[in-house]
Amino acid sequence: MAEKRIKIKVDHLTKKFGELLVLDDVSFDVEEGEFLCIVGPTGCGKTTFLNSVTRLYDITAGQIFVNGEEVDLKKHNISYIFQEFSAMPWLTIEQNVGFGLDIKKVPRAEKKERVDEMLEIVGLTDFRHFYPQQVSTSMNQRIGIARAFATRPEILLMDEPYGQLDIDLRFKLEDELVNLWRKTKTTVLFITHNVEEAVYLSEHIMVLTNKPCHVKTVIENRLPRPRDVMSMEFVKLRDHVTEMIKWW
Amino acid sequence: MLDRRAKGWQKTVAAVISFAIFVSVWQLVTLNPTIHQVMPGPFAVLQKFFLSFAEPIGKNTMLMHMLITLSRWAVGFLAATVLGIALGLAMGWYPKFEYFMRPLFELVRPIPTLAWIPLVILWCGIGEFAKYTLVFIGAFMSIVQNAYHGAKSVDRSIVHAARMLGCNDRQMFFTIVIPASVPAISAGLQIGVASAWSSVVAAELVRSSSGVGWIVVTGQQNNNMTQILVGILVIAVIGLLLALLIRKVEDVLCRWNKRGR
Amino acid sequence: MRKRNKGKKRSYVGLSVLSIVLFFFIWWLFTEGFLGTIKANVLPGPVKVFTTLSDKFSNKNPDGALMQMHLWASLKVTLSGYVIGCLVGIPLGIFMGWYEKADIFINPIFDFIRPIPGIAWTPLFILLFGIGMLPKVIVIALAAFGPALVNTYTGIRQTKEVHIWVGQTFGASKFEILTKIAIPSSIPFVLTGMRVGLGVAWSTIIGAEMLAATAGLGYLINLCRGIYRPDIIIAAMICVGLIGAGLGYVLTLAERRLMKGGRW
Repeated sequence: MAEKRIKIKVDHLTKKFGELLVLDDVSFDVEEGEFLCIVGPTGCGKTTFLNSVTRLYDITAGQIFVNGEEVDLKKHNISYIFQEFSAMPWLTIEQNVGFGLDIKKVPRAEKKERVDEMLEIVGLTDFRHFYPQQVSTSMNQRIGIARAFATRPEILLMDEPYGQLDIDLRFKLEDELVNLWRKTKTTVLFITHNVEEAVYLSEHIMVLTNKPCHVKTVIENRLPRPRDVMSMEFVKLRDHVTEMIKWW
Repeated sequence: MLDRRAKGWQKTVAAVISFAIFVSVWQLVTLNPTIHQVMPGPFAVLQKFFLSFAEPIGKNTMLMHMLITLSRWAVGFLAATVLGIALGLAMGWYPKFEYFMRPLFELVRPIPTLAWIPLVILWCGIGEFAKYTLVFIGAFMSIVQNAYHGAKSVDRSIVHAARMLGCNDRQMFFTIVIPASVPAISAGLQIGVASAWSSVVAAELVRSSSGVGWIVVTGQQNNNMTQILVGILVIAVIGLLLALLIRKVEDVLCRWNKRGR
Repeated sequence: MRKRNKGKKRSYVGLSVLSIVLFFFIWWLFTEGFLGTIKANVLPGPVKVFTTLSDKFSNKNPDGALMQMHLWASLKVTLSGYVIGCLVGIPLGIFMGWYEKADIFINPIFDFIRPIPGIAWTPLFILLFGIGMLPKVIVIALAAFGPALVNTYTGIRQTKEVHIWVGQTFGASKFEILTKIAIPSSIPFVLTGMRVGLGVAWSTIIGAEMLAATAGLGYLINLCRGIYRPDIIIAAMICVGLIGAGLGYVLTLAERRLMKGGRW
């Protein structure tokens, strides 16, 4: 079995907003190709955590390494799918999906190819010339997903991306996500408050505590794929994770 | 990237430095003899300003001029506020009234206040009433407009809830519609204050015998640039104070509606 | 119940029609009609106003020029000044909105200049440059510049954080974020500023022409006051209103082309 490399190394990450300590000396490693779900009580700082890892927020103390070097958004190929809709209303859906590729100065021919591919995968090819405000909320979320994957990211961050969608669509997109992950071998950090989703998607589940946030535990998820949400092992694991999240 | 890190005192220091640079550049530029012929320096302007409180410009001291202009502004603005809010709210809330009155408003609205000046003077003469009317016209439109939008966009769920509780029409209007429209009305007042100030100054520029606008226009007629600049200075300061005043009013009225200034 | 509501809706539009008809009727009644007590040199009737209006396009009396010449004179100055005002105000708004240092230094000066109505600058520039096109163009530029700047500034400041994060995550430079995200995002606000600025500019020229001009709608209106021709005054006022509305409409069309997907 080949030894997996450490993709992300988080070292004593501490984040304060003024006097409020949100992240308290968090340290952990993420292997390459990992699918890590991050769960925890509501408001414990999961989004702050993700934003700190990507340096969108300035951190108070600690270091974050990607591939052994300090994380640098210009150098490392990272994509982020946000909780809120982040499609840009002045661009068509097609232009939105290609936005990351524009920034990274990918040559035009290749850009077109990748954009077409992603539009196909998320089922938005017929809507490529529409604008985000003209299509439904679920389509809007898919724009974000297509855009994130178009750059073939080495690390993919997702902050409760399916929270606003209804169940059938959720399941469909979760399966799509797993497929894409397997194909691209991206390292995924996925925040969710939905334990079932975490158990369905993850290789590892990281449970965070309430503020001040630190890692309570990391649970390994060896359930064979495709996963059956009804199976006894699934339910057992789900209950175990729920038990760990409880802070009362 | 968008967050502003400068603290309050830093902003004040920057403001002071900014003004200092502005005044210095102005002073230096006017040291040039050719420019000095047409443009006085800042200190000359300030000197004339302070002097005018003792030595009258025309028949009135500066204080008198300021009070005259302010009184014209106040009368017109207050009338516009009372009538504008009443009319706007009624139009926004009572559909029959809206359908009747709106076309009339839409007919008159595109005509800018300044275009009314000669007609109003023709009808009302060159006295105070003409000025009051012009200020009224200036402020009225925006106040009505905003009150109208305020009343029209009252949250329907609140209206239904009140109706469930047995609210009659009169109560509905006075206890729900009016308070809910306060933010919109307040926004209209901000615009109205500025429009009214603009109107009174314009009216005085075109035809008057006193007031801060008169100071400016007679300065031009007498080739007195210093006087013009004194007038503009006063117009700026009073305009600024009025804007701050109405903003304070808004803060008080809209305490419950923090708009995150 | 449903039938009654339908009837209600229809009769409301009737009210609108009624009010317009009533307006003109009462106007006519008291001037040219049976109760015609108001003299024509105080308030002319609607018939007189509209005949004068159409007449003025071919009749040079009493001021020596046709209506369209006045129209063009006012429009010329307005558009020149307006374009200059926007060309200065919009970039400055972007600059101040994006760079805090620029904001805290320039804003205080601007706060002082803003309360000065555009028309108040007219005498100053007349004294400097005489009664030509230049002083009026400067005045209009000053008038339009304020709203353009303020609204653009607000537009930049309102850039959604999540959009900035998207850019940052992909590794965009600060300048790229300004040009690819903040500026496009602010377009609705810029357009609002341009709309308000246009209204202010058009309004200001009418007033400025009353102080110093030899042509233009404002000049015409003021002149006709002196010779007691309120019919021309009202006719010109109607033109002012129509052109103001027309300019606004042109801007609306431009807005629709610029924001093809709809407002955001």
